[in-house]
Amino acid sequence: MKKLTQQDVRGLASYARIGLSDEELPQMTEDLNNIIATLEPILEYNLEGVEPTFHPIGSLSNVMREDVEVPGLTQEQALSNAPAAQDGSFLIPSILGEGGDR
Amino acid sequence: MPDMSRYYDLSVSQIREGLASGQFSACELTAAALERVDAEDQKIHAFLQVTPDLAMDAAREVDQRIAQGAFDAMGPLAGVPVAFKDNMNLTGTRTTCASRMLETYVSPYTATCVDKVLQAGGIPLGKLNMDEFAFGSTTESSAFGPTCNPWDLTRVPGGSSGGSAAAVAAGLATVTLGSDTGGSIRQPANFCGVVGVKPTYGTVSRYGVVAFGSSLDQVGPFARSVKDAALAMNALIGRDPKDCTSQDIATDFVAAAQQDVAGMRIGLVPEFMNAPGLSSQVKDRILEAAAKLEAMGAQIVEVTLPNAAASISSYYVLGPCEAFSNLARFDSVRYGYCDPGHRDLQGQYDASREIGFGKEARRRMLLGSYLLASGVYDKYYYPAQKVRTLITQDYARAYESCDVILMPASPRPAFKFGEIADPAEMYLSDVFTVSINIAGNGGMSVPVGLCPQTGMPIGAQLVCPQFKDENMFRAAAALERAFGPAGVAPDFAGRAGE
Repeated sequence: MKKLTQQDVRGLASYARIGLSDEELPQMTEDLNNIIATLEPILEYNLEGVEPTFHPIGSLSNVMREDVEVPGLTQEQALSNAPAAQDGSFLIPSILGEGGDR
Repeated sequence: MPDMSRYYDLSVSQIREGLASGQFSACELTAAALERVDAEDQKIHAFLQVTPDLAMDAAREVDQRIAQGAFDAMGPLAGVPVAFKDNMNLTGTRTTCASRMLETYVSPYTATCVDKVLQAGGIPLGKLNMDEFAFGSTTESSAFGPTCNPWDLTRVPGGSSGGSAAAVAAGLATVTLGSDTGGSIRQPANFCGVVGVKPTYGTVSRYGVVAFGSSLDQVGPFARSVKDAALAMNALIGRDPKDCTSQDIATDFVAAAQQDVAGMRIGLVPEFMNAPGLSSQVKDRILEAAAKLEAMGAQIVEVTLPNAAASISSYYVLGPCEAFSNLARFDSVRYGYCDPGHRDLQGQYDASREIGFGKEARRRMLLGSYLLASGVYDKYYYPAQKVRTLITQDYARAYESCDVILMPASPRPAFKFGEIADPAEMYLSDVFTVSINIAGNGGMSVPVGLCPQTGMPIGAQLVCPQFKDENMFRAAAALERAFGPAGVAPDFAGRAGE
């Protein structure tokens, strides 16, 4: 199995939206490679014809409820933990123009 | 005021008797419990938050019901000091998941499991320490410092529900709740010498419990006796419209724990009993537990789980993938830590999640990020789900010839802080617990004596078929009769002030 490079780990961090400092990068890369090495048994199984299990309760599918209005959080409650809010909305930095998302 | 110095030893039933007979009031009991947390918790740091106002309000209500002659109608945990793992929402309390990310988060709603305990009359003393976002086996990844094992302060209490186990072991609460994704209830129960139950997936609602691995997570109780755990289970179970995986279950666990084990078939798994890394002290205790069950009329049978060896690798694919997806919600916008001063959203995301999440949480998310990447997904994630099928089938076949499986909960008793530094090695300590989450079975740890070398408690793990959790309670009660109840850790069992 090809090992992850530091460059690969930078890419993973960017995809996960997690900043990663230069100091931390070598150790993190080594840790991830060590962990991935322990996952090898998965690659050795003959899994032909085996159905995947996504959920432990096999008989369960599409649990629906009646489409009726039930009480939920008020706007005030929903915003109560927001780092920044304005006019009843969550407030974020600009996503267009300068420094935008790519 | 009556002498409350030994109250912390009382069982749920003894508390009920004491309240009903007027020996003490709920307010007296609660005041003593809060005083004890205040005096003793600094030694172990099980609590992240103490909630005296909520506790005294709840106690006053119990006393009021007693005064009205309505105590009999109160639920099974009336007046019982309880506490919750800090990944469980309780309105008005901080729910931090032991993370900087949620350090100031105040719950606007209450988790169903917490609500059920409160409806049953439980007195909420506070919220308990854990590994950050439940990623860990020691509580060392808590952003607010680790919890110590009440049996030996230089040793870990286990994790991730380490605070929940330690609080019960130190007599700081009578019943606590934890959550278990790969062993996070059973392993700390084992390390701290208490009873810890991970019910079958779907037995207890997950609504309001901060998600880690949604197809693996399950909530369950810690207690110092099988009966106390059974009483808590009776309060916790049932269908919740807010969790579509929760099932309509009406088992009476107290009744199950009163049955004897005569005629019960107990499975032993050679793959586990001969596993490399299983310490002889743990193995001896499990074999002794098997012998005692046999002496009480149970039949010991050998069952095989040929694919169990792949459990760890399957779990460490599925867990990080589900966690990666679940922890995407911490976006520094709706709640959680927000690094100030960023002019672009991407920069705010990156910095907030770098600073807000601790090292292990970030490691697991990067692992999930890798495993779900295109090209890698087909190699690991999908095969891991297929291996999950094989492991589930193994258990189903094993249960054709047994009612419950007896196995270790961990390869060895509680280890010292810092003893295992390599994350890959740490993950291997979950070898006996993860397959139960993968298959969605029930499992619990019950104390079966002490390690002759270290004096640390050792637990036996009992595992049952899906929704046959009464089977493991039956066997657990028998082991408790044979080995004695858990009891408070020796250094915490003296009279107050001693």
